[in-house]
Amino acid sequence: MSRLAEHFRRGSSFVWLSGTLLAFCLAMILGLVGYLAAKGMGYFWPLPLVQVQTTSGPVLGEITGQEAARAEETAKLQFHVGNRDVFGQDFRWIPTAGLPAAEYPKDAVLIERLEYGPFIGRITSLSHEGQVVAAGPTALPEALNHLAEAGRLRRHIHAVEKGDVGDLNQRMERLRLARRKLEANSDAAGLQKLDAKVAELQTAYDQLQTSLEQSRTQAKAWTLALQAADGQTKDCPLGSIVRVIPANDMTFFSKLGVYLSRLWEFVADDPRESNTEGGIFPAIFGTVMMVLVMSVLVVPLGVITALYLREYAKQGWLVRAVRVAVNNLAGVPSIVFGVFGLGFFVYGVGGGIDKLFFPESLPSPTYGTGGILWASLTLALLTVPVVVVATEEALGAVARSQREASLAMGATKWQTLWNVVIPSATPGILTGLILAIARGAGEVAPLMLTGVVKLAPAMPLDGTFPFFHLDRKFMHLGFHIYDVGFQSPNSEAAKPMVFMTAFLLLVVVVVLNLFALNLRRKLRARLGGSTF
Amino acid sequence: MSSNSSHQARAKRVDRIMAFSISTGGLLIIGAVLAMLLFILKESLPLFIPPQSRAAGTVQAPRSSGAWLDESGKTVVLASSTEGLKALRFPEGTPLSVPAGGPALPWRLATPLNPRGESLVISADGRLSLGRLAWSKPAGENDPAQWTLEPKWQDGGAVDSVPEVILHFRILEAGGLGGGSSLRILGLQQGALLWADSSLDAATPLTWKSIPLDPTLHPTAGLWSLDGNNLFVGTSEGRLLDLSPETGAISSSADFGEPIQSLGFVLGQSSILTGGAKGRLTAYQRVRVKEVFQLQAFHEFERLGGPVMGFQASQRDKRFLAWTRSEAVVDHLTTQRRMFSSKLDGPGFATLAPRGDLILQANEVTGALHLWTLDAPHPEVSFGLLWGKTHYEGYEKPEYVWQSTGGTDDFEPKFSLVPLIFGTFKGTLYAMLFAFPLAVLGALYTSQFATPRLKNSIKPIVEIMAALPSVVLGFLAGLVIAPLLEHMAVEVFIYPLVLFLLAMLIMPFWGRLPQPFRNGFGTGREVLWMLPVLILGVWVTSLAGPWLERVVMGGSYRVWLQSALGITYDQRNSVVVGFAMGFAVIPIIFTISEDALSSVPKSLTSASLACGASPWQTAWRIVLPTASPGIFSATMVGLGRAIGETMIVLMATGNTPIMDWSPFNGMRTLSANIAVEIPEAPLHGTLYRVLFLAAFLLFVFTFILNTVAELVRQRLRRRYESI
Repeated sequence: MSRLAEHFRRGSSFVWLSGTLLAFCLAMILGLVGYLAAKGMGYFWPLPLVQVQTTSGPVLGEITGQEAARAEETAKLQFHVGNRDVFGQDFRWIPTAGLPAAEYPKDAVLIERLEYGPFIGRITSLSHEGQVVAAGPTALPEALNHLAEAGRLRRHIHAVEKGDVGDLNQRMERLRLARRKLEANSDAAGLQKLDAKVAELQTAYDQLQTSLEQSRTQAKAWTLALQAADGQTKDCPLGSIVRVIPANDMTFFSKLGVYLSRLWEFVADDPRESNTEGGIFPAIFGTVMMVLVMSVLVVPLGVITALYLREYAKQGWLVRAVRVAVNNLAGVPSIVFGVFGLGFFVYGVGGGIDKLFFPESLPSPTYGTGGILWASLTLALLTVPVVVVATEEALGAVARSQREASLAMGATKWQTLWNVVIPSATPGILTGLILAIARGAGEVAPLMLTGVVKLAPAMPLDGTFPFFHLDRKFMHLGFHIYDVGFQSPNSEAAKPMVFMTAFLLLVVVVVLNLFALNLRRKLRARLGGSTF
Repeated sequence: MSSNSSHQARAKRVDRIMAFSISTGGLLIIGAVLAMLLFILKESLPLFIPPQSRAAGTVQAPRSSGAWLDESGKTVVLASSTEGLKALRFPEGTPLSVPAGGPALPWRLATPLNPRGESLVISADGRLSLGRLAWSKPAGENDPAQWTLEPKWQDGGAVDSVPEVILHFRILEAGGLGGGSSLRILGLQQGALLWADSSLDAATPLTWKSIPLDPTLHPTAGLWSLDGNNLFVGTSEGRLLDLSPETGAISSSADFGEPIQSLGFVLGQSSILTGGAKGRLTAYQRVRVKEVFQLQAFHEFERLGGPVMGFQASQRDKRFLAWTRSEAVVDHLTTQRRMFSSKLDGPGFATLAPRGDLILQANEVTGALHLWTLDAPHPEVSFGLLWGKTHYEGYEKPEYVWQSTGGTDDFEPKFSLVPLIFGTFKGTLYAMLFAFPLAVLGALYTSQFATPRLKNSIKPIVEIMAALPSVVLGFLAGLVIAPLLEHMAVEVFIYPLVLFLLAMLIMPFWGRLPQPFRNGFGTGREVLWMLPVLILGVWVTSLAGPWLERVVMGGSYRVWLQSALGITYDQRNSVVVGFAMGFAVIPIIFTISEDALSSVPKSLTSASLACGASPWQTAWRIVLPTASPGIFSATMVGLGRAIGETMIVLMATGNTPIMDWSPFNGMRTLSANIAVEIPEAPLHGTLYRVLFLAAFLLFVFTFILNTVAELVRQRLRRRYESI
């Protein structure tokens, strides 16, 4: 007993206990990152298509989850059966009890479509303009031959719709606004000229529409007749098929091919089916643009503040207080910045700009609504403390001897700063910037108030004048996660995609952070001293 | 030489310019950043501006018995029994044309016009007519001279007798296709109540039915309930009755304390305003208390100087006008605030414009019309309402409620910040319960026991943790952890216990191992040894959990919680939030604590160890107390982060603003509330300003926490330097 008490008093077990807690923390982090990576990266690998006979008929699909037996609930398997247009639901839970052995039919295919999610079933035949070209086992290879061409046609249609038609629409809109202005000034000659221009555009538009219509009929020429596991049939034009995957009849390398092509689609394509399928390119692009604009804004703000605080201000209690206040801004909740951005930038400044420069399009706002400029400005404010702190530290670390050498040579204060101090502080400033970017890229709450949207009709950067549209709304990786995971009607089907988005965001933010922190650690090691 | 000196002069000039521009730039930026606080405050302050009223003019007009103010305040329509309708332009007093027609003059009986411009008239030829007034305004036309008054008269048939006064009438709009409206009328004849039903059909004559009532009661005022099936009647004995018109059966009653002079509704028609003969002003509601409907006095307003003659309700919010012979007041139901009060120069009546922003008082003797404007943008909010309990319509008792919008236009907004602040602190508490022990003990281990190499690999991992975007954490919490916890709540709760036991069990075995092995592989690397133990713990738990649930809880923990503790289980609950937000807070507390613990001077620890204390004793008794201000400061910073965290709470809870400490249901925090509601809040509306106030509170909370933390840290730094 006394040995136990002694043992307790010396507390070696508590060392183990605290070690356990730390181990728990570490396991949590690594587990979380690993889980995200596995879930996200694994999503693109083609799963085998499993067919089982249940009492209510055959079920064919990918096995996406399982639940062990518990209390009154029996063990269950979750099947992704697809065919939303036929079955009404993508997933089915099937109790494992009494289930016969699973089959892996070779002729089962998973067909990714533009609409209604994937189709899982079998191909019965391929037809061209109503004539059956191939049936049975020959239909699949034949279809694969024509798929590439159909895809090209689809992309062409899409490009025309988005590029040329969108361009025409924008020009029309600009003419409409110009007309309102002219009408306000009652400029008859101008109006006539304008009408001619409108007519010209209208003919171009009509021509484009006819050629588009032709392409669309062409795209519908090839159709696949499909059959679901329970015997229901469905016709699907080849033009609306993204990919045909005979998952049970594939080599490792063809699976790898599918994996890579899906991965590429994810990072480089537009989203489909209200963001639950396709790619997230606009969100990646929006995030990058927003961060870039933020960087352009935050560096001068932060560096000038730090220069003032460290080099020009008279050091005293006031400057110390200001420094504490600026540092503490980093701890102010991001949503508060969002509220400020909404009230001040969007409604205050944006509303003012609209009244002054865009009165012809009122009451629909141009700058008086959320947009990439306001979001970036808000985030710049949010991250200014990070840059200020890093820059101040870097400025303080420049050796006194170097400054004094420069001053002793007769250089002015500014010359010393510009030629000696700032160059050696640059890595520190960069560290601050990278940390700011990492913080900014991961923030969502303030963006929700200042301009991020679920689906942006146009990118903030495109080919129409003035190319960079600061007033446009944009998509964002973080908001994409929130929106698809929590606001989407079909969030179960979209979950793997959200995992991938989350993983991508995580990788970007973590890599940026680690890079910046390593840089900072190296700088500090060079200078020595404690960080506390 | 001269070029050199000009060069120097230029350098000096540049230097001066740069010094100036950097100083002003720096000051401006600092000023702008700090002005954020002021801006947010400025946006929320108009909430507390008291209502402003102003006399808008006086016009001489013929005597009348009722008036209807247009929304614009530019016209007024007067009704009198002898001359019918008259329209005036305000404030000039020039007459506007009124179309001919309407009930035959002189009217034998007419009710005063209500704010919707409705009046019930019994004409000279004894026919009932319902009049509804409306101005037809060409689009964008602001000149009343261009408007036309369009009174719509509906003939309700002949009346068999004319009562002394019509107390109240209600138009019942029939549902369905082709359903016309019908009318319920309540009259008073020689102290007895009469009522009639009219289908507003010219052919059917109107017959009065009497209401059997206790002869000791003398009704003075009455109202139809919203569905027209009940009557609220006030008597000169001071009783407010809720009775059925058919039988006269009283289903509930309340004692008012003085003779009831008048009754009226507030917008929404569920609050009954009661005015006494001695000036008492009370609002009653019919509310279900313990399964029974009761009349309950739920708002008491400042007394008036004489008998309350009548009420008019705004058609926009819960304000109403009440007047006596000598004064007119506008009060707000929810806040009980007196928004407007004015003395009158003679007997008359008062009326309120539909929006409630204009008050007209007519002097019955002189015929003078006085108009006041009332400017009160946010009458539904007061300091007491934001912070205290308020008795809302339909509630049994005063409560803290946040519910900013409802399904109907007559909804009473409920803006108590208390449930949100409660939710904020609840979420923070659960997060800190999870994060604090893990972070502080982890930091203690890292700083005191871990080998330097291990320490160097732990820190980047914690940095990864700090870098995790909160939206990713929230997503995992909401879509992965919440379902998992729901599935395995028992396991999750016993896992810490299992781990603790395992950690305690390992030690005696460890002591048996040879010393060189321990020194070579164990000491300082306990963490690595514990990683497999964690997995062992998972295995043990997965066995023990279902067993425990089966044996102790009878099969299902949810049923057990419900029956044994009376707790309902929500999937997205405080435990999930605590876990996810704790995850976000751990690295913050860990990093600052670790810095403070590592910086404890070596001399102190060496002295302790030299005196024979074990490493744990040194860490626990010497290092931890010395660095405790640092840990305090770390906790403050962590608290600040948890208070303001938005995305995690938004995604991991159901966001219901309830006040309940149970770990198995959710909450709504200030920050999540802003994120949820501000996209729907109209610019400069009450909700918008209340949300800005919430943002201001968050700013102040976190700023204070961080400042305290910073001051404590600076002091600790000085102390370390002095040791």
